[in-house]
Amino acid sequence: MEERPKALLLKFPGTNCDSETARALEAAGFVAEVLPISRANETVLEAAHLVVFSGGFSYGDYVMAGRLAQLEAERKLGDSLMRFRDNGGYLLGICNGFQILTKLGFLPRGSLINNTSGRFICRWAGLKREVSGNPFLKGLPESFELPVAHAEGRFIAPDGDAQDYLGRGLVALTYTSDINGSSSAIAGLADETGRVLGLMPHPERFLWASNHYDPDWRGDGSEWGWGYMMFKSIHDTIAAEIAGHSP
Amino acid sequence: MAILTAEVIGKLDGKGDADTLVYAPMGGDCTYQKTRVYSIDYNGASNDAEQFVMGTLVDGYAEEVSFTGEPAIENYAFFIDYGMKPGALDLEKEAIMSSHRGARDRSIDISSLKITQRVYIFSGGEVAPNRFIRDICNSAIHVWSVTEANDRDVA
Repeated sequence: MEERPKALLLKFPGTNCDSETARALEAAGFVAEVLPISRANETVLEAAHLVVFSGGFSYGDYVMAGRLAQLEAERKLGDSLMRFRDNGGYLLGICNGFQILTKLGFLPRGSLINNTSGRFICRWAGLKREVSGNPFLKGLPESFELPVAHAEGRFIAPDGDAQDYLGRGLVALTYTSDINGSSSAIAGLADETGRVLGLMPHPERFLWASNHYDPDWRGDGSEWGWGYMMFKSIHDTIAAEIAGHSP
Repeated sequence: MAILTAEVIGKLDGKGDADTLVYAPMGGDCTYQKTRVYSIDYNGASNDAEQFVMGTLVDGYAEEVSFTGEPAIENYAFFIDYGMKPGALDLEKEAIMSSHRGARDRSIDISSLKITQRVYIFSGGEVAPNRFIRDICNSAIHVWSVTEANDRDVA
């Protein structure tokens, strides 16, 4: 029987998008498990192919979004996450998960801070895929839409670095319009290996075509939305690796 | 036991229109800027206490911190410090303290932490603090103080 890729969703107090993210991962073919960070250790990481930090408000976003979750993840897992990635594992951070992965140092240097409007935004965002071949994004068209919902989604980098990230192929996604003041309109970042992706938009909220605000929307003619395509992309990559094929 | 005061300032935060702080806009030329002030009672080395602040309470890319105990921003008309009443549940404080207690290798022991939001008001003319206090602070849960440019506490 074919082995299904395993996704492990690490949950902090205040994480609240884990259920729908697990559902999206299951729909794409993963076996998904939600695990409180208090029970996380290197052994459970080793059993997973994909570790996901899903959206929400970990620790109430106190101090700054993702900081207390970063500290707790460092305490509980130490270098295990780094070894997990170095041994071929994939890491995905969505919204608050992107903030956590950034603070953990898995993504290019920078920070996600308050939107320039100073307000929480909840809307659909036009996105542009800036890289080809990223295992999380290869099933997506060059332009697509996903919902966003964040107060601290403005990515900033040290002087000049955001443009440098674009040039080096580390910017996975950009917004098609300036919705939050992000440097170089960055909506998602990948690491040098392509095995780590962080993005502010919520792919799990556009699983089905019927999630779209336009009831007649039919992106690729199927019942699925673009968010599903993202989870399906990484599923197919990992499934091919498990089967011994090059993805 | 020592006390460290840390005022955290957003590097990218400019002055905003003070009318956005109040329910009835004043239509003047008042502006404001917000910072956070942490007052930490601790046992340990001062360098370690500052490291705790930098590692836990400050975003190194977007924020900077002043440890002088003096107001970090100048040329204000006055500033309002407000925070949770003693005895009121301060969830942010509890989250920070819980995180600190959970650290296996902590280099300082924090015995108490006070978190204050500071709002600097800038104005070319006369402006009274009371209308800002009324709309910013909640007397049910907050305590506050006002410091004018001449360092005189007025409320």
